[in-house]
Amino acid sequence: MSMTAELGGERSANARRHPHRKIQWSAYGYMSPAIVTMAVLSFLPMFFTIYISFTDWNEMHFMNYHFVGWKNYIELFSKNNPLSTAFVPTLVWTLVFTFLSTTLNYFVGLVLAVLVNDKALREARLYRTLLIIPWAIPALISTLSWQGLLNQHYGQINALLHLFHIPAVPWLDTPLWARISVILVNLWLSFPYFMTVCLGALQSIPTEQYDSAAIDGTSAWQRFAYITFPNVWRVSLPMLIPAYSATFNNFNIIFLLTGGGPARASTQFAGYTDILASSSYKVALQFNRYDLSATISVVLFVMIGLISVFNMRFTNAFKGED
Amino acid sequence: MKQTDVSLRPQDRARAWVIRVVLWVVLVVTLVPLLYVVTASFSATQSLSSASLIPHHPTLSNYRNVFQSGFLRWAWNSTEIALVVSAAQLLITSTAAYAFSRMHFIGRKYGLMTLLVLQMFPNSMAVAAIYAVLAKWGMLDRLWVYMLLLIGGSAFNIWLMKGYLDTIPIELDEAARVDGAGHFRIFLSVIIPLARPMLAVVFFLSMIGFYSEYILAGTVLQSPSNYTLGLGMYNLINTQFAQNWGLFSAASLLSAIPLALAFGFLNPLMAKGLTAGASKG
Repeated sequence: MSMTAELGGERSANARRHPHRKIQWSAYGYMSPAIVTMAVLSFLPMFFTIYISFTDWNEMHFMNYHFVGWKNYIELFSKNNPLSTAFVPTLVWTLVFTFLSTTLNYFVGLVLAVLVNDKALREARLYRTLLIIPWAIPALISTLSWQGLLNQHYGQINALLHLFHIPAVPWLDTPLWARISVILVNLWLSFPYFMTVCLGALQSIPTEQYDSAAIDGTSAWQRFAYITFPNVWRVSLPMLIPAYSATFNNFNIIFLLTGGGPARASTQFAGYTDILASSSYKVALQFNRYDLSATISVVLFVMIGLISVFNMRFTNAFKGED
Repeated sequence: MKQTDVSLRPQDRARAWVIRVVLWVVLVVTLVPLLYVVTASFSATQSLSSASLIPHHPTLSNYRNVFQSGFLRWAWNSTEIALVVSAAQLLITSTAAYAFSRMHFIGRKYGLMTLLVLQMFPNSMAVAAIYAVLAKWGMLDRLWVYMLLLIGGSAFNIWLMKGYLDTIPIELDEAARVDGAGHFRIFLSVIIPLARPMLAVVFFLSMIGFYSEYILAGTVLQSPSNYTLGLGMYNLINTQFAQNWGLFSAASLLSAIPLALAFGFLNPLMAKGLTAGASKG
């Protein structure tokens, strides 16, 4: 695009007033702290990660590592390698977790938003305030607290179930229950955010739509299905897709709640609840396999990149950015 | 309020009660676990897995023990890191946002979007690279290295701040320019004072994030004296759970204090409205 065309497209007050203004080189000075720190601290490690994924840099070859081509990638996806038996199941679980957890969080948030937005409910403001509490606590602290509450032998959740004569649930100790726990705790942590987003969307729906629908004699369910939901969906979609990529990369919930466990008998690199992000961390820090960890990270990069492209295509999140 | 009550039709009133019951159940399920943490913090170690919300033998011993557990060290480390890094973040964010909002340069139109897209890959995804390089240079386990890693500019904050700066009337800049002020002067004396509410928001959001950062802390820091809140609490609950649950609960509640204080200080500023009317003719 030529400079003039770009200037013509400018919409800010500044450019409108001075359509043919010179380039202000000092602008780069103002941006340099941000650009330099981002380049050194965000982008450089990213490129270096890609580089390491093509080498054999690990504890054994710490000082004299070599370029090994696609070997790490082949290792990751080969079935018979003992180090990587867990990779494909971990990848599948990451996708399942991302989809189930984010979707559930969104719909619970939506339903609660519709409930507390009901005009007949006079004390709605009180419920809104109370329901936001999980959001107000640092997620780090509450996730670790959940680890304690869900402890099979000492945790208070099982003690509570005991009152109702329900036998102790191995919340964090069997693969299935651990996965259910991760999804439930993530729901507890995240629904207030989605409820808030959906409430904002609900309140932006023009009331005339409901008035005319009422005149047409529609049922409450029809009004929800044809007015409320499409409107909320349209407004909240730009929030929803980044939320999928955040869940995809949600290291904290996994590492702090289950530590990726319960462990697999076949490999130590990833437990049953490990997602790619937490597995990559373990492989690097507990097993010093920087090469393999970097390779897992690159797979993560690619998948997050795909989610972002999807994001950009289907929403206008960045449209009008100027 | 009373008027709406009168105008409610019977079916509306019935629906309201159904909703109420559902919300009460949700509230109990949501809040009881939190109350259990409070209860545990006041319980003696023996009465651990009780389902009661009132501790059988109320005691303050957990709170006394917290201060011998290294908790103060961790909380201080995290608070210091959060304050220093958020302040640096503010400087980086505001100058860059000023350039994007007020100046003309190549890359203005697509630069910010490009940065936003690139930052979808946070540097916490590059733990292997960061750890391996720091290990090679012998720079692990230093708080300043950890702080430096966090200081990297945030495109999201710049975007947030730029949006706010765009709402500050450009007439104010022009008035200052007529008085002979250059960009730096305008930035410092016109923009920064008016952007204080947004600066407070960015500072507080950054502070929450850095105060409870875990993944990079776990990568860089090793010795207990350098532990952040996250590392310390993680170790507390993952070693000898039965002994430490009460202690952990007490520490959890206390760890909210720095953020609550920051919120108390910043909230009046954050709540302050926009600069509407600043350029009234």
